[in-house]
Amino acid sequence: MELLIQALLNGLVRGLIYVAIAVGLTIVFGTLRLVNFAHGAFYAIGAYVGLVVAQHFGLVPAFVAAPIAVALFAIALDRLVLRYFYDKGPTLQILITFGIALVVEETIRLIFGGTTQQYPMPPGLAQAATTVGPITYPTYQLLFAVGVIVMLLLVWWFIRGTTYGLVVRAGVRDRIMVQLLGGNVQLASTIVFALGAAIAGLVGAAASPIYSLDPDMGFNFLVPSFVVVVVGGLGSFWGAVLGGLLIGELQAITTLVFPPAADVVIYVCMALILLLRPQGLLGESEVIRQS
Amino acid sequence: MTSTDVAPIAEPSRGGFFGADLRFLGLTALGLAIFPFALHLIGGYGGLATQILIVSIATIGFNVLLGYAGILSYGQAMFYGGGGYLAAILLIHAMPNHPNLWLAVLGATLMTTVLAIVVGAVSVRLYGIYFALLTLAFAQMVFFIVEQARDWTGGDDGLQSFPTPLLPIGPWNVDLQTPLPSLALGPFGNLGDLKLWYVFAAVVLVLVLWFVRSLTRSQFGEVLDAIRENEERSVFVGFNAAAYRLAAFAISGALTGFSGALKALYDGTVSVDSVGIERSGSFVIYAVVGGVQTLFGPLVGTAIIMYLENVLSGVISYWQLVEGVIFVLAVVFLPNGIVGTILKRRRARTMLVNAVRVK
Repeated sequence: MELLIQALLNGLVRGLIYVAIAVGLTIVFGTLRLVNFAHGAFYAIGAYVGLVVAQHFGLVPAFVAAPIAVALFAIALDRLVLRYFYDKGPTLQILITFGIALVVEETIRLIFGGTTQQYPMPPGLAQAATTVGPITYPTYQLLFAVGVIVMLLLVWWFIRGTTYGLVVRAGVRDRIMVQLLGGNVQLASTIVFALGAAIAGLVGAAASPIYSLDPDMGFNFLVPSFVVVVVGGLGSFWGAVLGGLLIGELQAITTLVFPPAADVVIYVCMALILLLRPQGLLGESEVIRQS
Repeated sequence: MTSTDVAPIAEPSRGGFFGADLRFLGLTALGLAIFPFALHLIGGYGGLATQILIVSIATIGFNVLLGYAGILSYGQAMFYGGGGYLAAILLIHAMPNHPNLWLAVLGATLMTTVLAIVVGAVSVRLYGIYFALLTLAFAQMVFFIVEQARDWTGGDDGLQSFPTPLLPIGPWNVDLQTPLPSLALGPFGNLGDLKLWYVFAAVVLVLVLWFVRSLTRSQFGEVLDAIRENEERSVFVGFNAAAYRLAAFAISGALTGFSGALKALYDGTVSVDSVGIERSGSFVIYAVVGGVQTLFGPLVGTAIIMYLENVLSGVISYWQLVEGVIFVLAVVFLPNGIVGTILKRRRARTMLVNAVRVK
């Protein structure tokens, strides 16, 4: 029983990372119609920026610097390259963002080497564990989970409760009409793209004390996050949340029962969803044909 | 334009006269005869030429999908690695005493074709990112099976030291590992650096190119073009788009499995990397750099990237960064790839394609 609860907590932590990456992917697709294979690179850049800052200034500055650096990188990427691909269709978008992800991964390998790296953690925090009843779990993981949940709620509020979010959502429906009404869709879209990247960067920095860093980490989290997006429904915020938790828990339980299948089970899950309900659990069917 | 007065099947732009085909075959064969010596001049070794020819068959198969059918598969490694493993398993278990190259390769190709038909049957109704991810999912399942079925595949160790297959031609059993006669050619190397494998791979590649050339110039290729340009209208005209895409997927799976089987037998080993996600990505890179929708683009792209990998990886540790940069530059600046850009002139659109295009 304790083992199962431990596994479920592991699944929650991993699932929340997927959710955070998937939310970025899904809001960027929803607003810019951009399929972004470079989103995992944001996660990796956040982790490595966080690593460098943490080595010199400590954890909290790392968690501030990582999302800012990644957001700036994302804005530059968007303005310099990606905007020319908005209307080029998903295939070319996948190719260009896949290429960018490759370049980022190899640049990280060039700078930091191919070996895995560990975050410098304050010793008190590294060993701290919280015990509730029979269950003992690392405190950092619990703090991480709470932090990600709070962040997701803030993102949800931004999309649903602010004027920027309103412009973005309306822009998806009818870009020209929103612009006629005086909404700056371009600015709002750029903010959303930077926001999605910043979320990935922050979570990359915050999750790296739990999982070690290596240059492949971007792709290693990106592909499951795409699975999450598809399972939840491309373009759906709550779909990404539901899908991420589902995939995280599925992986954790499989790890407990039959470890070798932990990676493949998510693909089986995605294949079943795609065949039975291609729009995803909470997706709208209209996006299928366009993408 | 009034599309109603255009017959659904335009004037077929078939291969033309037998003479045109003969010229194509002759020129291609001539190019492949020069290729290994030109490669030697710029620092590639004899075996690399053979490997490029074999792997390019898989890229050509991928191009049938991405270039002609217009769909991006991110799971080609399931056919490539699958073909390699199946050929090796056939040699080890079905013909340990009389290893026959034809039977191993064609048997493996047949099985990967069946796999492609099964995977394609459930995948071709999806598009874009969904299609790419579903093919990726199936490839990951194949990877999992290969990794777990240790008794058959050797698990993470892969398969080595399977029987050297012989190629029965008429009354002879030819061992393709036999070197060609020694003949020094100065800066172009030595004819003896090449094995019979190169000749075999070149003949096979010419036949594959000829097949794909005929395919894309056939009515089938024309309909595929039309579906890529505008599926909705093509369906209205009366074509079953899913069936055509499935056929393209099956052909692609067959060529890729064929290539993987040949590569495994040439190397004498097959490893789990050959079914991995990065292998799938490599065909994307080869094809895009060389030029999709062109006949020779996949061959050129495979040759350039494999050559750079071979030459640069010994000199600098970050050749993969170079590869990534080349790929990005190709997507941004040469969307038609190297060959597509050199040819400049796109293939003349047929009446069928014009009929379905959106102005």
